[in-house]
Amino acid sequence: MVMRMKISPRTVLIGLDGVPHSLLLDLKKSGCIPNIAKILQNGFLGRMEVCIPEISSVSWTSFMTGKQPGEHGIYGFMDLKPGSYDLFFPNYTHLRVGTLWDDLATQCKQSVVINMPATYPARSINGALISGFVAIDLDKAVYPVSLAPYLRRLNYRIDIDTARARTDHSFLFRDLEETLDTRRRAVEYLWETIDWDMFCVVITGTDRLMHFLWTAYEDRSHPQHADFLNYFRTVDAFIGSIYERFTALDGYDPIPDKFYMISDHGFTAITSEVYLNAWLEQNNYLRFQRTPPRSIMDIGPGSKAFALDPSRIYINLKEKYPLGCVDGKDYEEIRHHIAQGLSNLTFDDGRPVMRKVYFKEELYFGPCLETAPDLVALSNHGFDLKGKVSSRTVFGKSDLSGMHTQDDAFFYSSSGAPCGSIYDAGKILFNGFFEPENEIKGPSLGT
Amino acid sequence: VHVFGALIFEKHFVTQDAELCLPNLTNKNRSMYMQEVHKTDSVHTLRQKIERSHEIIEEAIQMFPEDQLCMAWTGGKDSTTMLWLYRSVCSKLGVRMPRAMFIDEGCVFEEIVALVDLVRNKWNIDVEILKNRDVSDKAEEIGSLIQVADLNERNRAELSKIGFTEDAFVFEPESFVGNHLMKTAVMNTFLIKNKIKALSTAIRWDEQTARNQEDYFSPRTDPPHTRVHPILHFTERDIWETIHEYDLPFCSLYVQGYRSLGAKGSTTKISDIPAWQQDLENTPERIGRGQDKEKIMEQLRSLGYM
Repeated sequence: MVMRMKISPRTVLIGLDGVPHSLLLDLKKSGCIPNIAKILQNGFLGRMEVCIPEISSVSWTSFMTGKQPGEHGIYGFMDLKPGSYDLFFPNYTHLRVGTLWDDLATQCKQSVVINMPATYPARSINGALISGFVAIDLDKAVYPVSLAPYLRRLNYRIDIDTARARTDHSFLFRDLEETLDTRRRAVEYLWETIDWDMFCVVITGTDRLMHFLWTAYEDRSHPQHADFLNYFRTVDAFIGSIYERFTALDGYDPIPDKFYMISDHGFTAITSEVYLNAWLEQNNYLRFQRTPPRSIMDIGPGSKAFALDPSRIYINLKEKYPLGCVDGKDYEEIRHHIAQGLSNLTFDDGRPVMRKVYFKEELYFGPCLETAPDLVALSNHGFDLKGKVSSRTVFGKSDLSGMHTQDDAFFYSSSGAPCGSIYDAGKILFNGFFEPENEIKGPSLGT
Repeated sequence: VHVFGALIFEKHFVTQDAELCLPNLTNKNRSMYMQEVHKTDSVHTLRQKIERSHEIIEEAIQMFPEDQLCMAWTGGKDSTTMLWLYRSVCSKLGVRMPRAMFIDEGCVFEEIVALVDLVRNKWNIDVEILKNRDVSDKAEEIGSLIQVADLNERNRAELSKIGFTEDAFVFEPESFVGNHLMKTAVMNTFLIKNKIKALSTAIRWDEQTARNQEDYFSPRTDPPHTRVHPILHFTERDIWETIHEYDLPFCSLYVQGYRSLGAKGSTTKISDIPAWQQDLENTPERIGRGQDKEKIMEQLRSLGYM
């Protein structure tokens, strides 16, 4: 255990992957999350909008950099190698801009960051980092590497076994509990061994559970309804114990010392999955060389556009892609046609699928605009956009029951500082360290 | 001889003692406990590690009837070493060796087939070669298109179990669908058909992070059976030391520089020097198996991406 030399301000951030503002309020009302409810009695809690596409890698990167994808360059879990249709995994070492903890390091502040998505492979940090999803090899997921043997002894788990948990739900709950338990032990260890200024931990199990079993939450008669709520009770106890440690720190002072909780997107039930490549195919913008295609690499000649997960559409420009066939002069026309066509897409019951189809320049600016998708679709709740290539139909279902939402993430600050956009959250945390102690901005809205 | 005997007695005694404690422990605790034992029990030398494996195997043989215990054999260095360990224990106990199962996922290296033939003759192994012919017969080659409607009911049920709803898929053993049909499904069918209660596999703790949490005896639910992992505590280096010290047969691909063997189409060698001469401790064993990207994509798929 280190001798605690630090005096205020100290900051703790809990990330709750995928937890919607609406769910948090509902769980609070039903008494499932008493510890969180107690924390929420003071400070600010509000609904927060996130980036588009509304997926974890883009959203957490936007949080940690305070920048949008045009600046940080992360548009999805996978991206295209320049000049090809081959996919690569844009990882943490590709990130060209600094993070919140990089900025804090310039102020000689130490950070502990545990299970932060989109930080694999781990790079150096003033403090300690354990990467979160997608992270494969524990040795490459920790900084400093000397942490790896200790985590291994703890049986530390980066993530649950999603492939198995997706269909084996009794395993899912067991694995969620075990994974969170190892996370708790890593928290306890790093809490004591590093003289941190900022302590960050993200819980990913919430996202997994809601993908696989959102129906278990909405449907009270669902056999796993109680299990669903129980997992949130476990998460609540986890947060409660961290909060208790936080307020018990030497010289704790609720004004300079700050506690935050945020999510990176919300969740809702899936009415239908929507396969954008199937729509492009049916509307003669896309054809594949083989049936069924295995990946976007099977794109055929004459294709004008293609989609990548979850909602990114690329115009197959002549000078940009090997089989590109769209002339620069036709770019705008094709883009408008696709945007128009997708905006008019309706489900069987007549409901419009899209909330809005964006041109890239409406969403992004900066040095990475070149690699941005040309169009990005934002769907209405219930329509889960997919870039998968092998579907022949535009609509379909899988065994997943929950999908992400862009407009229903949440932000909580003990200081009362409000935040309505994920792009601002990191800055608020950073600035929180350097505020005059008696000046707290923002009213307490305490929803 | 006396010292050797005393060591065995002592080890056996420790195991007995550990056995008495185990039933009250949860699975997770058990794993930690076993790892503690592994650490503090001075199981340091190769001889001691082999001895520990012998104990696990003996326990498995006593726990499960001979026809309900089966060894998973890939022809790789680990599972072949495991077979050798079984062979020693069975000969000591004077019992028949459990049968082995070998999964032909449709893209096996010729060098592996040669090793399997050599070892089955040399050690007189009863090996069952499993192949999902219903799938592989419909594919002329890797990359062929297979229509779901052409498959038998069992395979169609497996596809719907993993949420695959398309009309056709491309035959590739290490793709999500291919891996499930050619490996998982065929193995599960074998386990159910033969009422196998325990399957012994040669996974090791040091192989992958995901394996850290494994126990020597680990229950599985679908189908219900026990996984027996007798060489969990071996490192990659231990395996090679065992192979060389006891002159065990191994696949010639390792001489060419392959570190870890998978399907032919997706396994590459990362070096031209023999596997055991490579920097085993500081480079990843499975690096030649397209790991990170393939695994990242697997994980993304399991969450509905890709």
